[in-house]
Amino acid sequence: MGKDECKTMLDALNKVTACYRHLVIALGSTSDSQNLREELKKTRKKAQELAVANRTKLTALLKDKSISKDDRAEYERLWVLFTSSMDLLEVDMKRSLEIGQDFPLKVPTRHLIQTGMTGSTTTVAARAMSVQNMKYEADANIDTVDLKELETEIAQVDQMMEEMEMKVQVAPWAVEAKQEAGAELKSTVSVGNSSVGVISICEEEPKETVEGESGMMKVLAGIIFTAVLLIAGILGYLVINL
Amino acid sequence: MTIRSDRDHGQHYRPRMSCLKKLEAIVVQMQDPSTGVKGSEQKLNVTTIPHAIAGQDIVAWISKHMNMDNDEAQAFGTMLAAFGYIYPLQDHKKLVLRPDGSLYRFQTPYFWPVQKSKAEDTDYAIYLAKRNIRKKGVLDAHEQEEYNKLHNWMNHKWDFIVMQAKEQYQAGKTRQKADRVVFDCQERAYWIVQRPPPQTHSAMDVLDRHIDPNTEEKKPYDYYRRIIIYTQQAVMRSRVKSTVSLGALVKYMATFMNHDPFLVPCLPSNPWLTDDDSYWELNMADVEVPTKMRVERWSFSFYELLNDPRGRSDFKIFLKKEFSGENLAFWEAAEELKWGTGASMSEKAEHIFKTFLAPGAPRWINIDGRTMGITVKGLEHPHRYVLDGAQTHIFMLMKKDTFYRYLKSPVYKEIQKKAISPVPHSFSDTQLQQNTRNRRLSISPIITWQKEQEEKAKAEAAAGPIDIKKLMASKLDRK
Repeated sequence: MGKDECKTMLDALNKVTACYRHLVIALGSTSDSQNLREELKKTRKKAQELAVANRTKLTALLKDKSISKDDRAEYERLWVLFTSSMDLLEVDMKRSLEIGQDFPLKVPTRHLIQTGMTGSTTTVAARAMSVQNMKYEADANIDTVDLKELETEIAQVDQMMEEMEMKVQVAPWAVEAKQEAGAELKSTVSVGNSSVGVISICEEEPKETVEGESGMMKVLAGIIFTAVLLIAGILGYLVINL
Repeated sequence: MTIRSDRDHGQHYRPRMSCLKKLEAIVVQMQDPSTGVKGSEQKLNVTTIPHAIAGQDIVAWISKHMNMDNDEAQAFGTMLAAFGYIYPLQDHKKLVLRPDGSLYRFQTPYFWPVQKSKAEDTDYAIYLAKRNIRKKGVLDAHEQEEYNKLHNWMNHKWDFIVMQAKEQYQAGKTRQKADRVVFDCQERAYWIVQRPPPQTHSAMDVLDRHIDPNTEEKKPYDYYRRIIIYTQQAVMRSRVKSTVSLGALVKYMATFMNHDPFLVPCLPSNPWLTDDDSYWELNMADVEVPTKMRVERWSFSFYELLNDPRGRSDFKIFLKKEFSGENLAFWEAAEELKWGTGASMSEKAEHIFKTFLAPGAPRWINIDGRTMGITVKGLEHPHRYVLDGAQTHIFMLMKKDTFYRYLKSPVYKEIQKKAISPVPHSFSDTQLQQNTRNRRLSISPIITWQKEQEEKAKAEAAAGPIDIKKLMASKLDRK
């Protein structure tokens, strides 16, 4: 159904926004590099695609006058989620433009800020792109070339936001959140499952995941589950033997 | 949807921080591997994190690089910390630079303070939610308060905030352990600067001065007092009927109409139009024979007569004949005091007192006792306008009495006869062009001033303190 599709897409957009923020935070510091710029570019493109897809879907749903009131309330809630994501993305994109201009990579005396971060951000980018490993194939002057593209993309996003505000009549303050204060402590469920009484899972290891998460998490969960089974089997065998 | 515009119509009175760009440049300079600040490592339980710098190193670098002494360098370093460019690793709530071995680290450019956009509440809510996750529900007191407040008024976005917080937390966990620690420290430092906890002094702590439209600001007592004083004074101002004031205006216009070069062409010709400066030559201050228009103008009012230098000298001649030159001399001396230099004031005042005001002075002026008393008293501590009262009195005396005698006197009549009336020019086009080419600079004002000074010196030498006895003697003689 349209609603579930929307929700999965919004989840994806949410994830990409979060990862983009992590990547932008690393800009200009010692963990900045050619790779980071490329990661930023790829994440951004993915975010754009998702944004456009989400927008078309949601505007189509909201324009439909024949939906019930509850449905409409739900769609408005999703709309607020979407616009908030886009706001964050836009701010991050603008900031990345500024920082990217201030800290070019291909200058002879390069002074990146020594923030203490030295590791790479490949894992974050891989999470954003939903792939296992990132492939880097950009050429050497990505930092300057990319900035021009970034400017145009920011302009596009601006325009898109304006259009959205004009076309869709949604009052964001009228939306009621389904989560209550402290809901982030409760579970790592996605937006698809709105009930609060799910098992509270310790955030250290994502042992179990509920449906709606991406495929990668499922694979990881499966591996850990089998590992736990194996260990349990071995321990049992040892106990029996001793 | 948030109200989006680059122009912040929310009337936030944030101070301008032009220092931010300069601080950024300095921070970048600090990064130079050869000339920058030397970093060391921070050892946590298992991990070591590079790029930790000691407070004393920072202070030493600043004082060397910016040529300051240690106290100033420490203050500067504290400003760097207060703005959030450096954050302390121990005691993270106190944003000061300690010049000892305590460690600091640089903040990543994303978290640098920016003048344009203040830290958004949505971001702060997401941060608090993440912190909630990390600390498993146990937040600091002020953080908990803020969390509840934000939950209250950002309720419609709360789903988004929770989602984002979880996602950002998960994404952060995919990084290496050392980087995770650094990231947490960075974010925490950023929010300590932007939303300082109690008893932390951060440079970004600008109270957004919204004026709550619902509360009426109580006007202080002084505000009303000033309004009362103003209206009282306005009531007391003298009012003139418009018939009277307009009548005066009409009379003025009627008298001076012929003398206005805009309305009646001046004789011989307007130098601005014909480039022929005979008009100015004929009307100079020291000219022998004045023009008829000028002489006519002297008869309009005493003020006109005194203002025109030629007129004044004519009046002086008349007064000499009448042996009552002391009034005008006093008036001129008072003018000199008003417009003269401050250094010469006290000696001028003394001279005036000796010459005009002291009982038995050589050129004693006749003013009423009250004014005399006030003036003499004022002369003890002379200032520019100390002779104003006496000067006005003398002016009125001259105007009411001497002026009309002057207008009827033979001196004036003679000058009227002698005055010339220049023939109006009529130039052809070629002559006009010729005039344009013949334009020259007039006499330099320095030379005119020097001439004036010479004249004055001569006049003073000539005038001298006139002995009253001799004066009376000469009068009696004539009789």
